[in-house]
Amino acid sequence: MSYFLRKLGFYAVALWAALTLNFAIPRMLPGNPVDILLAKLQQRGGTVSQETREAYALLLGGGDSGPLWQQYLDYFKNLLRGDLGVSVSYYPAQVSDVIAQSLPWTVVLVGLSTVIAAVLGVMLGAFVGWRPGTWLDSLVPATTLLAAVPYFWLALLLTYLLARVLGWFPMQGGYDVALTPGWNAEFIGSAIQYGFLPALTIVLASIGGWLLGMRNMMVSTLSEDYILTAEAKGLSPRKILRSYASRNAVLPSVAGFAISLGFVVSGSVITEQVFSYPGLGGRLLGAVQNNDYALMQGVFLFITLAVLGANLVVDLLYGLIDPRTRARS
Amino acid sequence: MSPTTGTRRRAAAALASAAVIGLLSTACSSGGSDGAADSSTLVAYTGQAGDYQINFNPFSPSRIGALGTIYETLFFYNKAQVSEPVPLLGTEQSWNEDGTELAVTLREDVTWSDDEPFTADDVAFTFAMIKEHPSINNGGFDGEVTAVDDTHVVFTFDEPAFLKGPDLMNTPIVPEHLWKDVNPVEDVMEEPVGTGAYLLDEFKPQAFTYKANPDYWGGEPAVEQIRFLALSGNQAGADAIAAGTVDWQTGPIPDIQNTNQNFPDYDAYTQWQNQMVLATCSSVAMGCEGPQTDPAVRHALYYAMDRDQINSLAFMDTASEMSPTFALTPSQDEFVSDAVEEKIAPAEPDLDRAAQILEDAGWAKGEDGVYAKDGERLSLTVEIVTGWTDYITAVTTIASQAAEAGIEIEAAQSSWNEWTEKKGSGDFELAIDSLWQGPAPDPYYLYNYFFDSESGAPVGESAGNNYARYDNPAVDEALDELATLSFDDEARQSHFDTIHTEIVRDMPYIPILTGGTTSVWNTADFTGWPSDDDLYAFPAVWSAFDAAEIFKRLEPKG
Repeated sequence: MSYFLRKLGFYAVALWAALTLNFAIPRMLPGNPVDILLAKLQQRGGTVSQETREAYALLLGGGDSGPLWQQYLDYFKNLLRGDLGVSVSYYPAQVSDVIAQSLPWTVVLVGLSTVIAAVLGVMLGAFVGWRPGTWLDSLVPATTLLAAVPYFWLALLLTYLLARVLGWFPMQGGYDVALTPGWNAEFIGSAIQYGFLPALTIVLASIGGWLLGMRNMMVSTLSEDYILTAEAKGLSPRKILRSYASRNAVLPSVAGFAISLGFVVSGSVITEQVFSYPGLGGRLLGAVQNNDYALMQGVFLFITLAVLGANLVVDLLYGLIDPRTRARS
Repeated sequence: MSPTTGTRRRAAAALASAAVIGLLSTACSSGGSDGAADSSTLVAYTGQAGDYQINFNPFSPSRIGALGTIYETLFFYNKAQVSEPVPLLGTEQSWNEDGTELAVTLREDVTWSDDEPFTADDVAFTFAMIKEHPSINNGGFDGEVTAVDDTHVVFTFDEPAFLKGPDLMNTPIVPEHLWKDVNPVEDVMEEPVGTGAYLLDEFKPQAFTYKANPDYWGGEPAVEQIRFLALSGNQAGADAIAAGTVDWQTGPIPDIQNTNQNFPDYDAYTQWQNQMVLATCSSVAMGCEGPQTDPAVRHALYYAMDRDQINSLAFMDTASEMSPTFALTPSQDEFVSDAVEEKIAPAEPDLDRAAQILEDAGWAKGEDGVYAKDGERLSLTVEIVTGWTDYITAVTTIASQAAEAGIEIEAAQSSWNEWTEKKGSGDFELAIDSLWQGPAPDPYYLYNYFFDSESGAPVGESAGNNYARYDNPAVDEALDELATLSFDDEARQSHFDTIHTEIVRDMPYIPILTGGTTSVWNTADFTGWPSDDDLYAFPAVWSAFDAAEIFKRLEPKG
């Protein structure tokens, strides 16, 4: 029991540290939101006179007054109430609304493709490791090459080939904007069609890591004595692959999977940029560019919670599935 | 920040990606594939990066639309050329002689899109509301407004306010019966009701659509629907043009000179508004340090530039010439003082002249070929924003040109935020930037924004638009005088003469070129776009009032 308590205590401290950093880092950024907002406004053809500057300073400047410790206390108080504040770049929208609007896209796209990549990678890795030295081994350099190519390049190349030249997939967006989002076949079909290409790029770029990790674990697991014992007992190769080798070899991948699940929430900034895909990554980028502290904090908070939460779950699960981690305590 | 260059630079942030897709697309575009569906819907891309958050409040800085198209103003000012304002909700405007009273006649038989009649009370209400809420009072309106009868309103001011006129006439008018109960600062107006040619059809974070207003006072517009897309940035916009999914975007695409050959359905059109400069921290009195505080250095740099080379290397030949008086050329040439000898910044470098200017000011060439004075080398740092590749190229080009003239230029890249911070606090020597125009086609506004000491500040304090910290009592006085004169007063010219003489001599912003704003639009499906023959609005889709005028004039083909 103390194992779990200690884990929970550790996560509480980690959460506090993360929240404090989350408070401090945006405040170290140079510039202020009013200047950036004015520059944007001017870019959109607005005239920016001295009066405009004063009006916007008044509109946006009210939030961050008071000494730093006061802001720090308020920050925690508001967090407890679930109030993330008002986004400056989308004024007067609430940060929670902005995030709620983007989160589903990211979770579905990046989440699904992460799961697909991990499952495919681990399964392929198990097979490649099971039969080392066959032609299957060539999968390893092939997929690691895809992982090593800069992601944006891979994405652009695929976009060019599959969307521009062959015209199989749309190039940009999350769905056909002429449709109304909702739970109907037409919209979901459109969302799948638009999401396929970005998902494909994520899967291709990340599958190599899973495959390589699983294959290596598989190879070293196969040289363990209990595999030999299993063979000696006359178990079928299929049984050994599934129940003896894979189950032991997959442990590190499970931990890795949890961590990457945590990062799903942060989205894939580059994916969303390349494909103009709606989601949290684009919002985060926008928040940083606009010095939108509240939105930045909100997005970081979600990422922090997701990463910590995913790790906690795995830590606890790990205690169950791998008794060795518990035994040491 | 300049519109075009700004957007272009953001586009360029996609770096290699931009070039790659761009080149591929130009190489392979067989053209003709028209993805923008039916021609009754015009698809526009304003440069919006990321999803839309609903906000059709015309006074909100984060509004996403409705200005001009749904909420109309009293008059439309065409910034593209010096011309009379176009009547919209107002039909006539006249000032009294001292500029303290402005009478506006309103259009009759106009209705809001919820069928309530539009009257002078709505106008009076709008301005009273703005005055009551300083945080939306962008134009600094401080007068009184009264509705005389249903179709006449009178604005009164304590002081002459001729030059505030365009800002007032550019204010969107909102319906009193709906707005009297809302908080104009924080309400996002999910269902905007206006008098304009378009109505909001539907909103989605990834796109919103306007539909034509059948009861519009000017007649139902020919383009039935307008859809605004949210993409990830200008690079995505350029890709969308190549794929034929967008009908109008303002921003660069690769090989822009040959747009029509690469994409037969499209054409590109460029207008010039943003004057690109090397802004200097100019005033020693305000605390600026560095060689650029010497006007001779600024003039030497001015003559050292090979503007033709800069234009072709950095701006794909889309920029145009610029006047050292900062009057837009050619549209505002009539304002340029006769006393100014050089009406246009020279296209070719004049190294002898640059050397002469420096030597007259006591600079002497050192052994390394760089001028020096009192042990201080003539070495300057230009602040640029990372990723704004056209400006980076421009500065690299200027640096090699200046080296020939014995001036050392170094480039320092930083993030946009940091760059803004440096300009604001005066912690810079030179910064490449561009100066923008005011609400009406008149050079006064630019001088007022960038040369008035009131919007400057000592180094270390946050400055407004005049971050060069130019401080010249003669210019300040001329600006104050100009504020008391109406646009057609002949006495204005003498004040412009003063300003021109002073700023050409002091040159706190070193002129480079006038940046082009290029629109790429679908000429196969729509006609009626602005052209050299009929420049009825400034062609930029992000410029809301101009875009609204253009939407009204467009006609679908076939």
